[in-house]
This record gives sequence, C-alpha cells and structure tokens, in this order.
Amino acid sequence: MSFVKNARLLAARGSRLAQKRSYSDDMKLTFAAANQTFYDAAVVRQIDVPSFSGSFGILAKHVPTLAVLKPGVVQVIDNEGKLTKYFVSSGSVTVNEDSSVQVLAEEAHNVADIDVSEARQLLSKYQSALSSAGSDKAKAEAAIAVEVAEALVKAAE
Amino acid sequence: MTNAWRAAGITYIQYSNIAARVLREALRTDLRASAAKRNESHVKFTPWANGRPARK
Repeated sequence: MSFVKNARLLAARGSRLAQKRSYSDDMKLTFAAANQTFYDAAVVRQIDVPSFSGSFGILAKHVPTLAVLKPGVVQVIDNEGKLTKYFVSSGSVTVNEDSSVQVLAEEAHNVADIDVSEARQLLSKYQSALSSAGSDKAKAEAAIAVEVAEALVKAAE
Repeated sequence: MTNAWRAAGITYIQYSNIAARVLREALRTDLRASAAKRNESHVKFTPWANGRPARK
C-alpha cells in the first residue's frame, strides 16, 4: 500500500520536474583554456569530449552532467556541420539544464598545431623515463606523460 | 575511479600540470616557445600590517 503511494508521489514529482526544466533547443558552448578562448557562448550542434567516465557526445537537451576531462580530442560540430578537432590536456566539462556547456581545459590547441614527429619523440622519451623511473611517484608521473604522448600521437596522425 | 597515479599520491591538479606540459612540448616549433612560458607560474607574497605593506 505504502509502496503504491510512494510510487504515485514520485511520479507526480517527476512530471512536475519535467515541466519545470527549461531545456533549450540551442546548445551554447563555452570552450576555453589558459592559453586561448575557442568558443564564447557560441551555438553549436554537437560536442564530443573525452572524460574519465568515458568519451561522450553532447547534443542540445543533454541531461545535466559534470565530468573530468582526460587528455584527448574534443570534437565540435557547428551549426553548418563543420567539424573542428582540439586536443585538451585536462580540465572539466559541465552540461547545464539550460543546454549551455562549459569545457574548461588547462591547455588546449587545434589538432593541426600538434607536431606529429615531436609527439612520437616525446612518446619514446617518456617510455624510457618510465622504465628507468625509481620511485612510485616518478613512475606514476612518467606513466601520465606516456598516456598523454600516446593520445597526442593518435590525435595527430 | 582508481588510477595508478592516484595510488602513488598524485592529485588531479598535478596530473593536469603534467598533461598540459606534455601537450605544450608537442606543439609546432613556432608555437612551442611561447607555450613553454606557461610551464612556470609565479606567486608573489606581500605581507601587510596596519594597512601598509610591511615588506616589499
């Protein structure tokens, strides 16, 4: 009996919540890093972000989300359908109820600005640093650098 | 979210610093020099006493 009552209460609350939420058809993206602002509340069609909880795509009316960025490629598809790729080091992504999205990175660059041969050299440099690392901390630091270098090579190729 | 680096006592801020540094190192030569300036950050402290800087 009480279960039925609870379920009815929950359902009523759910419908009220759905009415209250002001989902917008336009997705406004703010994408900035310490080095550059790429989008300032610009309306775009889709954003794909790499995060620790997996890579995911964001369209307008996406459920509100918070995620931690992982080194990798952020893809932005604008309203004309043009795709632009950026490499982000790390940071956060916020998807709000009003369909605004903030991608904030410590460092972000257009994928075209990555030097592939340099990325390959860095990968081998940090791989040898990883194998010669003594302490657990030095090992972990080198492993992070290897992870980033691998992502860079993959993105730039 | 159990990462090897977290187990080694590294925080996400430190992880982020390393990731950003590696990205700067992999940039095209013409962008690398100006990007490298962001590897270091400086903080200057000025102690204040009675409404004046006690020491510069």
